[in-house]
Amino acid sequence: MTADSFIFWMLAAVTLCSGLAVVLVANPIYSALCLAMTMVGVSALFATLGAYFIAGVQMIVYAGAVLVLFVMVLMLFDLKTELGTFSRGKISGLLKIATVGVLAGFLAGVFSMSSELAGKSESAGALAGTEASKTLGGLLFTKYILGFEALGVLLLVIAIGVVGLARSKGGTHAKH
Amino acid sequence: MGSDAFEITINGIKLVLVFLLMVQAVPVLVWLERRGSGFIQNRFGPNRVGPLGLMQLLADAVKFLTKEEFSPKAATKLLFYAAPVFALIPGTLGFAAIPMSSPLHWGNYVFPIQGYNMGVGIVFILGVSSLAAYTILMAGWGSGNKYALMGALRASAQTISYELALGLSLVGIIMMYGTFNLSEMISAQEGTMVFHAFGNTVSTGWLPNWGIFYQPLAAVLFFSATFAESNRIPFDLAEGEAELVAGFHTEYGGFKMLLFFIGEYGHMMVASGLMATFFFGGYNIPWTTTEQVYQWAMGIAGTADGASALTSLVHFLSYMIKLGAFLWIFIWIRWTLPRFRYDQLMDLGWKTMLPWALANTVISAVVIFAVSYSW
Amino acid sequence: MPLGGVIFISVFVAVFGCLCLYLGRLFGGKKYQDSVKLEAYECGIPSQEKKGTRISVKFYLTAILFILFDIEIIFMYPWATSFKEMIAAGIGAYALISMMIFIAIFIFGLFWEIKSKALEWD
Repeated sequence: MTADSFIFWMLAAVTLCSGLAVVLVANPIYSALCLAMTMVGVSALFATLGAYFIAGVQMIVYAGAVLVLFVMVLMLFDLKTELGTFSRGKISGLLKIATVGVLAGFLAGVFSMSSELAGKSESAGALAGTEASKTLGGLLFTKYILGFEALGVLLLVIAIGVVGLARSKGGTHAKH
Repeated sequence: MGSDAFEITINGIKLVLVFLLMVQAVPVLVWLERRGSGFIQNRFGPNRVGPLGLMQLLADAVKFLTKEEFSPKAATKLLFYAAPVFALIPGTLGFAAIPMSSPLHWGNYVFPIQGYNMGVGIVFILGVSSLAAYTILMAGWGSGNKYALMGALRASAQTISYELALGLSLVGIIMMYGTFNLSEMISAQEGTMVFHAFGNTVSTGWLPNWGIFYQPLAAVLFFSATFAESNRIPFDLAEGEAELVAGFHTEYGGFKMLLFFIGEYGHMMVASGLMATFFFGGYNIPWTTTEQVYQWAMGIAGTADGASALTSLVHFLSYMIKLGAFLWIFIWIRWTLPRFRYDQLMDLGWKTMLPWALANTVISAVVIFAVSYSW
Repeated sequence: MPLGGVIFISVFVAVFGCLCLYLGRLFGGKKYQDSVKLEAYECGIPSQEKKGTRISVKFYLTAILFILFDIEIIFMYPWATSFKEMIAAGIGAYALISMMIFIAIFIFGLFWEIKSKALEWD
């Protein structure tokens, strides 16, 4: 086993374990932190594939922004008294087992597919560092320009929607 | 990390050395901060223990060590203890990615004088430093104290707000150098100022080829945003002691507190290092190129290995001087500006710095586009 | 591959931190704990509010706006790296205009947020 494949398997194990912990842990704060760990693991897996820019983006957007939001929102609740609603009950137990089952199914699928692919593909020559991002930039602004501008509009719509929701009646910043 | 056992070992040792450099700089900086504060406020500062109060560092460390280990009843133990350990990681990972000197050529080996040479340097550093928000949230929530929680929420809202201005102010820099790699940026800033405009080559011998002369607005925005990122005055709202006791680390003491300290100073060192790298030529000596320094070193050392080592050493000293200068500015500003109010802080981040960073991006793009034409 | 170095130093730092915590426990002075000392460090008198305090939805709003603008900024990075090359390839004007449209949408969003007082803290 080479050093690279050792790193890959180790990262895969860490990512999978923290992913499992997300569904199995009772306390939602720990769940969210484990999800953040999963995102960091996924980012490191991208890096093993040579996609350093995507790895960085995964880190900045998911681990550094989306999950900070999750953790922040969870901390707004008084979890010590509301923990019961998150962890007890047959339905949540069933859901957890079902989720783990689905995950295991996906995993089995991934393994069977990747064992087939592993023989075939030489890993694409990793574009070191900035080169990949340059290629991405070139494609984004020639071939996929329409989608790119549409994304700008979509983000704008979301930003306006968020403010609308936060100010709807009942909130602490409701319109008077 | 390397191709053979020797290289891997050296690279591992190098990483540990970079980390130890960061850790051992903390007591020195604390001493400098206390003496400097004394100097600025026209008082003595620590001057009783050892010469110039230098032994105060050791005394402080012993005091930290012998403090009672203690966690409050309401704390969530795991998060309470994990937070200070995690506090070290973003700073260390970021600091190790900054080049400290020109690469050392020794025999057939090339050792970059930095923890690791990341191809996507900037994106990597932004990514790991955005993880710092978790430390604060974990500490604040894990303490089970409402002031700690409020401090943590404020601090994380502040860091994420200023991350926008920080990230956006770098777009101009990336555009100018056309790379994410910090080493390539530093080599682009060698020597004296030379640039191409309207088909002509303009050279001014009396200015170093530094980024700040091309992106002055970005430098100001970036440096201000890093103050907010590292929770320093005037942006240390997280620990506004009049309102929040001490913010997210209210319940911490002893070595746990010390780890937070190392984390905070680590952020300052990353910020200073990046400031030097983006805007002040990194490890380069002003007005010279790496090649010129190497020729000079060749004249002294004689052998290729020795000359390379000497070049690296000289560049390392140059980098350390720049790093120290920015760290001193951090301390200086602490005693110059008062703390902002929270609404002023958010207004500054969202309504002043973000629009200016956008303006900087637009102006840089238009100028770069315009000067590329010759007429 | 630099990733190995990153993993190595992360683990090293985590071990170092745990060691520091252990040292603190080992040498950490006398153990004297009573119920008052274990209370949260507040103002000394028993807390009036038993439940957690209510916290403004502003923090949530700030975080979600941060994500949106962060994504927009991330999209500028690949453009910024390839901008000079696109100029050299003769599609500079096209790249500039398409990015300016994107930035115009960004600016419109930002000023809409400012105008609608969503970023107002009091």
